[in-house]
Amino acid sequence: MEAVVRRKAAAYVCRSCTRQFQRQLRRNYSNSAPRPDIYDVVCVGGGPAGLSLLTALRANPVTSHLRVALVEAQDLSKVKSWKLPPNKYSNRCSSLTPTSALFLDQIGAWEHLDQTRVQPYHEMQVWDGVTDARIEFDWAPGSAPVEGTTIAYMNENLNLTSGLLKRLEQLGGVSVFEGAKVENITFGEETEDLDLSQWPVVHISGGKQLTARLLVGADGANSPVRAFAGIDAKGWDYDRHGVVATLEMEGEGWGGEHTKIAYQRFLPTGPVAMLPMPGNIATLVWSTTPENASLLKRLPPKDFVAMVNAAFRLSTVDLAFMHTQGADQDDEYSWRLQHTPFNSRAVPQTVVGVQEGTVASFPLKMRHADTYIGERVALVGDAAHTIHPLAGQGLNQGQGDVQSLAKTIEFAVTHGQDIGSIMSLESYVSERYTANHVLLGVVDKLHKLYSAESGPLVPLRSLGLNAVNALGPLKSFFMKQAAGSGTKIF
Amino acid sequence: MRPSPTPLRRAARQILSSSFTTIRAAAPAHRSLSSITTTSTGSDCTCGNGRTTARRPQIQSNQNPQQQQQQRSSYHSYDHPSPPASFTPVEESILSAAYLHVPAHGFTSSALVAGARDAGYLDISPTILPEGAFTLIRYHLVKQREGLAARAREVFGGEGHVGAYKLGGLSEGEIKGRVEALMWKASREQGGYWTVAGAIMAQPSYVPPSLKELALLSDEILFLAGDSSVDPSWYTKRVSLSTIYAAAELFMTNDHSPEFMDTRAFLNRRLREVNEVGGVFRNMREWVGFTATAGVNVLRSKGVRI
Repeated sequence: MEAVVRRKAAAYVCRSCTRQFQRQLRRNYSNSAPRPDIYDVVCVGGGPAGLSLLTALRANPVTSHLRVALVEAQDLSKVKSWKLPPNKYSNRCSSLTPTSALFLDQIGAWEHLDQTRVQPYHEMQVWDGVTDARIEFDWAPGSAPVEGTTIAYMNENLNLTSGLLKRLEQLGGVSVFEGAKVENITFGEETEDLDLSQWPVVHISGGKQLTARLLVGADGANSPVRAFAGIDAKGWDYDRHGVVATLEMEGEGWGGEHTKIAYQRFLPTGPVAMLPMPGNIATLVWSTTPENASLLKRLPPKDFVAMVNAAFRLSTVDLAFMHTQGADQDDEYSWRLQHTPFNSRAVPQTVVGVQEGTVASFPLKMRHADTYIGERVALVGDAAHTIHPLAGQGLNQGQGDVQSLAKTIEFAVTHGQDIGSIMSLESYVSERYTANHVLLGVVDKLHKLYSAESGPLVPLRSLGLNAVNALGPLKSFFMKQAAGSGTKIF
Repeated sequence: MRPSPTPLRRAARQILSSSFTTIRAAAPAHRSLSSITTTSTGSDCTCGNGRTTARRPQIQSNQNPQQQQQQRSSYHSYDHPSPPASFTPVEESILSAAYLHVPAHGFTSSALVAGARDAGYLDISPTILPEGAFTLIRYHLVKQREGLAARAREVFGGEGHVGAYKLGGLSEGEIKGRVEALMWKASREQGGYWTVAGAIMAQPSYVPPSLKELALLSDEILFLAGDSSVDPSWYTKRVSLSTIYAAAELFMTNDHSPEFMDTRAFLNRRLREVNEVGGVFRNMREWVGFTATAGVNVLRSKGVRI
C-alpha cells in the first residue's frame, strides 16, 4: 500500500516534498474528500512565451520531472497543424533576435520551425521622414561579429507557436487543457492534512481545478493571473494603431536573396516599417493614428499599395494630404512621384500587391507591471510588459523572461528550494525588470522624439542620427545591442 | 434629537444630503413626475437640511418638467437656492430701457438718462446706480450670461439645459465641442459694443467686478457644456477659458469679416492651443508618475525593501 502511494506521489510532486505529502496522502485515503490536483507549474496561456517556458522546463533534465500543465483558451491542434501555401504569409510576424533564436535552438524548438518561412535580415535602413537624416545599419568590413551578420530573423508568430507545440509533443509529459477558459483563480483550502490556503487554484471551464505550486501568467496584456496576484500594470496608450499587412514586392530586394534589408521610416504619425520575408514577400508594420488606420483598412488593394509606396517615398505633407482623400490615392501617388526626387536604392523596392485579407490593425500601448512575481505567481511576456513595436522587441523580451525564469526554476530545483516561493523567484525579477524597463523607456522616447514635426527637436535628432551613422564603432555597438549579441549593460 | 454636531460632521452631512439632492434633481430627465415627488419628500425628511428644503416648492410643484428645468437653469447648483436677483426692480427697469439706447449712445451716461426717461423716471434717477455707465455694462454682461442657458438650448437642441448630472455620458471631446459652440455664441452676442465697454472696464476700480463677471461667464459656459470635473483642472479650465474669451472679444473689435468668420477661426485656434498644452501637461504628469513608481519598482526588483 505504502509503495503504491509513494510511486503515485513521486509521479507528480518534486522529490524534495514527496516525503511530506506521503504522510498527508496516506491519511487522505481514509476520507472521501477529492484530492486536489497538484501541479508544480501551471502555465496559463499558450502563446510563444508560455509554450517556450514549458518547452524549456521539459527539455532540461533537471526540471523535466516537474509536473506541468498548460491552460489555453484556443484549440491548439489547429495551431499545431497550421499550414499555409508557400507563397502566402500570415500578417502577424515578429522579429527574433539571434539571442532568442539561440535560446529556441537550445531548447530544441528551432529545428521544428518551418525554416523555409523564416527570413534572416542583415541590414537596416532607418531614416527620418521629416529631414531625411538616415542611418544605415550595415556591417562594415571587419566589424561583423563572429556569430554572424544576422540582425534578426523575421518569422510568422504561428510558425513559432506551431514549432514549439511540435517540440512539446515530442518531449511529452505536459497536461494540456486546450479550449479551456480560466473561469476563476482562487486560493486553495486548508484541510486537516494539507494546507493549500496560499496556493493558487485555477478553475477552468468544465469544472476542473488545478492547484499550482507555481502559477505562471503568460496570458497576454489583460492577464487574469496578474489580476489574481493583485499586480498593477502602469503605462499609457499611444493613441496609435499598428496597421499590418503582407505585401508582394517587385523583386527580392536590392541586396538579393542573401542580403535582405529591413526598412523603417519615422513619420510624424509614427514609424512605418517594411520587413523582408522569403522571396518577394515583405511584411508591413505601420503605426499611425486610429483615423488613418481605419482609412487604410477601407482602401481597395490598388490604393492601399499606393499609400504604402508613398509612405516610403513622398514627403510627409504629401502623405498627410493623401490621407484626406477618400479614394484614388493610386492616381495621386503616380502624379506626385514624378515630382519627388529620391534615391530608389535607398528605399524598399516597389510594392506591387497586398495579400487579400491581411490588412489589419491593433492599438498600441505601453504597460509595465509593478513586479513580475508574487507568492507562487510569476508573469512572463505580455502579461508583464507591453511595448511599442517600433524596435520589434516585444517577442524577444518575452523570450528573455522565459529564459531567465526557466533558469531560476532550475536553480531552485537543484538547490531543493520551493519553486513557488518568492525567495526563489526573486532572482528572475531582479534579472529582468531593469532590462525590460530600460528597453520600454528607450522605445517610448524614440516614439515621442519622432512624433515632433517641427521645433528644436527635429534638427537635433537628425544631427544625432547622422552622428551615429558617421561613428562606426558606436553604430556597430547599437547593431549588436539590437541583435542582442552585444555586452549586457543592465 | 441628535447631539449638536461638530462643524466637521455638519459639513459631512451637508455633502451627503446634497449628493442625495443632486440625484433627486437629476430625476426629471428620466422619471415621471410622481416618482420625483415621492423621492424628494423622502430624502428631505431624512436630511432635514434647511437649504435643501428651500428647493422643495420647485420640485413638488405641479409644473411640467420643461418649466422646472427652465427655472433651475438660471443657476446651476441644485443644492442651493437661486442667488438673489442681480438688480433691484427699479434698477432693472431703468437699465433695461437704457439698454435699448446703447446702439445709439454706447455704454454712456446719456444712454442711462434716455433709459430713465423712457421708463418714466426723472433724468436724475440714474444716480441710484453708484457705478454709472459701468452698471450698464455689468447689466449687459449679466443678461448675456443668464441668457446663455436659453441659447445653449438653441445650440444643442432639447438637452441644452443639461447640468452636471446628465454628463456622465459626455466624452471629453464632446464637451470640448460644446465649449467651443457656447463660447462662440457668447462672444457673438457681445459683439460690436466692446470697444467702448472695454475702455470703461479697464479702469482700475472696475477691474475686479469685470474679472468676476468674466469668471462667472466661464463658469456658466463650462457648466452648460457639461464639464463636471472637480479636480484642480476646475481652476485651470476656468482661467484659460476667461483668457481666451477676453482675447476673442478684443479680436472681434477689429474683425470686419462676414459673420465674424475670422474671430471664430481665432477662437478655434486658441482652444486648440489650450488642448495641446493640456495634453502636454497630462503626458508630463503621467510620465513623471510612471517614472517615479518605476524607479521604486526597479529598486524593489533588486531586493531593496521599500
